[in-house]
Amino acid sequence: MAKVILKDITKIYPNTQDKKKKGKKTEPKSKLQVTDEGVVAVQKFNLDIADKEFIVLVGPSGCGKSTTLRMIAGLEDISGGELYIGDKLVNDVEPKNRDIAMVFQSYALYPHMTVYENMAFSLKIKKVPKDEIDKKVREAAEILDITQYLDRKPKALSGGQRQRVAIGRAIVRDPAVFLMDEPLSNLDAKLRNQMRAEIIKLRERINTTFIYVTHDQTEAMTLGDRIVIMKDGFIQQIGTPQEVFDHPANLFVAGFIGMPQMNTFDAKLVREGDKYFVEVLDVKVELAEDKCARLAARNVQNQDVILGVRPQHIVLTDKGIEGTVDVSEMMGSEVHLHAKTKDGKDIVVIVPTEKNGLDFGMGSEVNMIFGGNVAHVFSKEDERNLEWE
Amino acid sequence: MKKSQKRSLTIIFSIISAVYVLPILIVFMNSFKANTSVKTETFKIPTGDSFVGFANYIKGATFGNYPFLQSVGNSFIITVISVALILVCTSMAAWYIARVGSLFSKIVYYLCIFSMIVPFQMVMFTLARTADDLGLNTPVTIPIIYLGFGAGLAVFMFVGFVKSIPLEIEEAAAIDGCGPIRTFFMVVLPMLKPTLISVGVLEIMWVWNDYLLPYLVLDRTKYMTIPIHIQFLRGSYGAVDLGAIMALITISIIPIIIFYLTCQKHIIKGVAAGAVKG
Repeated sequence: MAKVILKDITKIYPNTQDKKKKGKKTEPKSKLQVTDEGVVAVQKFNLDIADKEFIVLVGPSGCGKSTTLRMIAGLEDISGGELYIGDKLVNDVEPKNRDIAMVFQSYALYPHMTVYENMAFSLKIKKVPKDEIDKKVREAAEILDITQYLDRKPKALSGGQRQRVAIGRAIVRDPAVFLMDEPLSNLDAKLRNQMRAEIIKLRERINTTFIYVTHDQTEAMTLGDRIVIMKDGFIQQIGTPQEVFDHPANLFVAGFIGMPQMNTFDAKLVREGDKYFVEVLDVKVELAEDKCARLAARNVQNQDVILGVRPQHIVLTDKGIEGTVDVSEMMGSEVHLHAKTKDGKDIVVIVPTEKNGLDFGMGSEVNMIFGGNVAHVFSKEDERNLEWE
Repeated sequence: MKKSQKRSLTIIFSIISAVYVLPILIVFMNSFKANTSVKTETFKIPTGDSFVGFANYIKGATFGNYPFLQSVGNSFIITVISVALILVCTSMAAWYIARVGSLFSKIVYYLCIFSMIVPFQMVMFTLARTADDLGLNTPVTIPIIYLGFGAGLAVFMFVGFVKSIPLEIEEAAAIDGCGPIRTFFMVVLPMLKPTLISVGVLEIMWVWNDYLLPYLVLDRTKYMTIPIHIQFLRGSYGAVDLGAIMALITISIIPIIIFYLTCQKHIIKGVAAGAVKG
């Protein structure tokens, strides 16, 4: 068991473009910063992970989450900063000496070995006595319910079973830090849900430090004690799932976390004494007291803002923002209405089916409103949340 | 596919197979005939007059001053050492080339590819001289030359296969506690098995049957291989003992056929594995 500290961790990939190509203008694949040294994949990453904490790194493709995990594992060199596992600086320590175990997206099982041999491999290398290896492998197999497959080769297993073996291989090592790189991405939706629940149970049983990488926000929200949201090599926000959902630090986090995505409007923030209002499409909504207090504390003045409201926080009413239903999606217990406002903005509203969700077919006229306690105001200049940053 | 189509395809491929096997059958058949009958009744089945039993085998094996068994031994030593060297060295080289994308590895790779298109005849005389100077003219040292000539094809085939192995498997091995050597021998090499076998078969067939290189390089007063030994059955003034030659050719083919038949399954797997990215 161990805490993990990442201090100003940076990863720069040297430019490999040859000189001939340098002159040509090419379309950048992402907005990663490019310096003279190369492409900066991870920028000044600072994070203290407590002992036995479950941290989830989440973000879109190319945001640097897997690179960060691979640096922790020792599979990538660290270009700058310090990495501590326990109290030991491990920047230059070999992966095998970091006391970590890793589960890969592609399972990475040894195809020529049986499940038993796969799980026993690391212990065999460490020259652990045979009876102890046997005990540990069988214990892990019991936990993961794969005892009946111990004599099989990986190719004879299904995707879910292979992933269990990969997890089992990590468990037997009894590592200080458990690293998981998108372990569920190769599974179908049903199996993914099942394995997610298995990982939650597993975490209760083996109780160690977990660092989990995913691009799936549902996995991040359900598994993590804290979530680290990344974009273009930068940390956007670190917080508990509830914190990042309720108080997104910027427009990116607001859009990334939550399903369906948060609705955004061009709005005006108006200050009247200690009170703040948002004006959007002829509607004026007073912000909640706590929000006003935070804005006042930061002395936020009248300005154009981006207003964010989650679909589940918008309600249909008699008077409010006018719109016409474009698409109505029946989701079972609720209906997702996609409405278009007068100025052509698309808004998603979630209406429970048992209320009047089914009453709004395509082309219906609706009026939408939201409460002042659920509105998020973001700076138009740099998209940060004006309440928090 | 319709039944009639299947049947006609079976017939066509049976004929093609028979055409391929025919030369071997003719050699085998003629190895039991008297020398004169080989020339006059080449395609006939040996009968009472022409049939000489194992006389050709005995004659071939005891002909000349050099014991045939020693030639077999030399061929065996050269083949085993050469193929083992080729398999170990080129698989390691291919792993390096496939995994380290440096300019050096690229140069090495293209040199290996280039070596495949250089005809042996172009280098044979200088090579024979150099081999003499360096003492590479014994059955134990000639495999170094075979390593050089066999590396091209072997590296080409191994690189194709190594590239299809997910890198994560090697990373998992690194986390499990393997250094590079252990990773290669415990994780990568076992996964290369199909390609190892197909490269092995190709190299074995080439080295075992090779005539020119040992003829040019080996000190023939001390060392002969089977092909050289067979060639010595051609006497002076055009006298050729064809019956004995056929008998020795039959003996020399047998080990290759046995080896091929036992490893056939893996050979096909290996060729497919190199071609298709897994």
